[in-house]
Amino acid sequence: MKNNKVSYYLQKFSILIVLIVMFIACSLLSPYFLKANNLMNIARQLCVGILIAYGEMILIVSGFLDLSVGSVLALAGVMAVSAYKSTGSMPVAILAALAVGVLCNLFNAFFVGNFNVPAFIATLGMQQVARGIALYYTGGANILQLGKFVNIGQGMLGVLPIPVIIVIIITVIVWYLFNQTRYGRSLYAIGGNRKAAEASGINSLKSIYISYAINGLLAGMAGVIFMARNNAGLPNGAVGYEMTGLTAVIVGGTSFTGGVGTVMGTIAGAFIIGFLENIMNLIGVNSYIQSVIEGMIIVLAVAFDIRSKNKKSSKVIMVSDDGEEKKTP
Amino acid sequence: MVAAPMAVHADEGETYDVCFVARASADTFAAWLTDSMQKAAAEYDNINLTCVSGEADDNEMATQLENCITKEYDLVIVQSNNNAAQAPYVKELVDAGIPVITTNPTTHQCDLDGETGDEAVDNAVLAGTGTVDADPVEQASRGALRAVEEVPENANVVVLRGPSGNYHAEKRREAWDTYFFSERPDVKILYEDYANWNNDEALALMETWVQGGTHIDAIISMNDNMAAGAIEAIRNNTDYVAEDGTPNFLAYGVDGTAQGCLLIKEGLLTATALQNAEEIANLNMEYAEKVLTGEMDVTEVNDFVEAPEINAENVDEYIQIYIENGEIAADGTLAE
Repeated sequence: MKNNKVSYYLQKFSILIVLIVMFIACSLLSPYFLKANNLMNIARQLCVGILIAYGEMILIVSGFLDLSVGSVLALAGVMAVSAYKSTGSMPVAILAALAVGVLCNLFNAFFVGNFNVPAFIATLGMQQVARGIALYYTGGANILQLGKFVNIGQGMLGVLPIPVIIVIIITVIVWYLFNQTRYGRSLYAIGGNRKAAEASGINSLKSIYISYAINGLLAGMAGVIFMARNNAGLPNGAVGYEMTGLTAVIVGGTSFTGGVGTVMGTIAGAFIIGFLENIMNLIGVNSYIQSVIEGMIIVLAVAFDIRSKNKKSSKVIMVSDDGEEKKTP
Repeated sequence: MVAAPMAVHADEGETYDVCFVARASADTFAAWLTDSMQKAAAEYDNINLTCVSGEADDNEMATQLENCITKEYDLVIVQSNNNAAQAPYVKELVDAGIPVITTNPTTHQCDLDGETGDEAVDNAVLAGTGTVDADPVEQASRGALRAVEEVPENANVVVLRGPSGNYHAEKRREAWDTYFFSERPDVKILYEDYANWNNDEALALMETWVQGGTHIDAIISMNDNMAAGAIEAIRNNTDYVAEDGTPNFLAYGVDGTAQGCLLIKEGLLTATALQNAEEIANLNMEYAEKVLTGEMDVTEVNDFVEAPEINAENVDEYIQIYIENGEIAADGTLAE
């Protein structure tokens, strides 16, 4: 009985255990890892990735995904920069980015929800479209001289970087949406079994639109922070960032087949990847080798996910942040 | 045996179809070059220019080059993504009788046959083609020669590299070995990594490297875009930039982009070397027309643009050029 309990907690908190082990290992590998500046640096570097990961998590839990997020982020970011340069207003710039993010994702939702185009294909198309528009709009050149726009990516509020504060606020909102609302519960149900969810009265089309719209808001905000951090509107920026988001989500325990995933797991996944990248850079591992190591970790994480799911029995159809498991009768 | 490319001589009033195959559209310099090619071609009534992009993908580059044969262009200008990967397809164009100018970078015979160790053979342009390029060694040597004098004794430096296998990336790095590191054995490379020409990748690398505890005395970057990313990582760090804006480090780039010039003006980038896309484009179009009208053979096209150094003393004249072409706002701040 006691063994079962230990096993239950080990399984439930496995990702946090991995994170703690990783943290200890990193602090042993480099004396600079534990410096406050470095830890703050990791948090700042992860902001864009975490926002993207939340969007991917919402979609993957409900059985979809977004391969266009890097391009949409770049398009939203350059539009925000452009709006700021035209108006000098930060709220207008943010609104422009959010609007672009939502608009692109409503197209994704339209094709995925109304035409049943696989999310992989629909968002792959949007990846090309959004990048193309960003490059066409800027002529492929970086937009420079951003003025105070950079504060949202580089500024501090007290002891915390502004982007970290933004991500903390968004984390609370996403956690609330996921765990305390009917919409959040519907995501798990749709991801677990869409037809069964529809039969039980859930409007899956509406959920798809809302999920992609939220993903768009997150991509838009990530675009603003990304450009501000780089002090330039980079139409060619964030290439491949969809993989950054997906990696954090998968490593964080979200199942690629839908129905399983948590906000805390995604944060843990993002920090595991962040610690890994940070320590590899600190000890001077070549970036190409870093890719090899990161790739291997994704495959291992998915293999672990599949294996543990098979073990745990197919009866569990959803696991949320509060640890609640819904089982089929 | 290489077939001699045949120039198509059109009758008066007839136009020539020319294709520019750029290495990528999501690349600041390639985008600048593409834009400049279009502007340069607009000056010629008898040239119809089509621009396509290989999207930094060798397979896509191959497809685009094969399409050029299918579409029977009168002349093709190729900006390779990876010289060795594109060389066989460039040769296919030559074999199909289409005049080819390779540009930024030049495609060499050794890209097709492999290096022999004989410099004269290895530096020869691919048989049957012409070239308009900038010399990456000359470009990088501008900063490297300065750095020999400027970098403090026993300095710690970091090196940001362009994509592995890219001719300009590799040659610029070699130039730093030849002109700087061999002259300054006291200098230690603290970190070196590929940021693939990208601002954001360089930013992330530099953010972590500065946590290593050792002061970085100089940033040696193979282009301005990566230098800009690295500088952004330490712009607000008082160990590197004093409150009055005085930097406590040196930084070297290549390309002389608008962003690079603004950083020199701020005092954060020490020097760069201009790689002028407009000049490269103008020369390409000038030679293309001469080849197409039979004034010269494509194999006679062999021109390299100069790489003037841009530094604090002369940066204003380059900023003025960027203000005139609209890339930099005259007030230096907000206008687009």
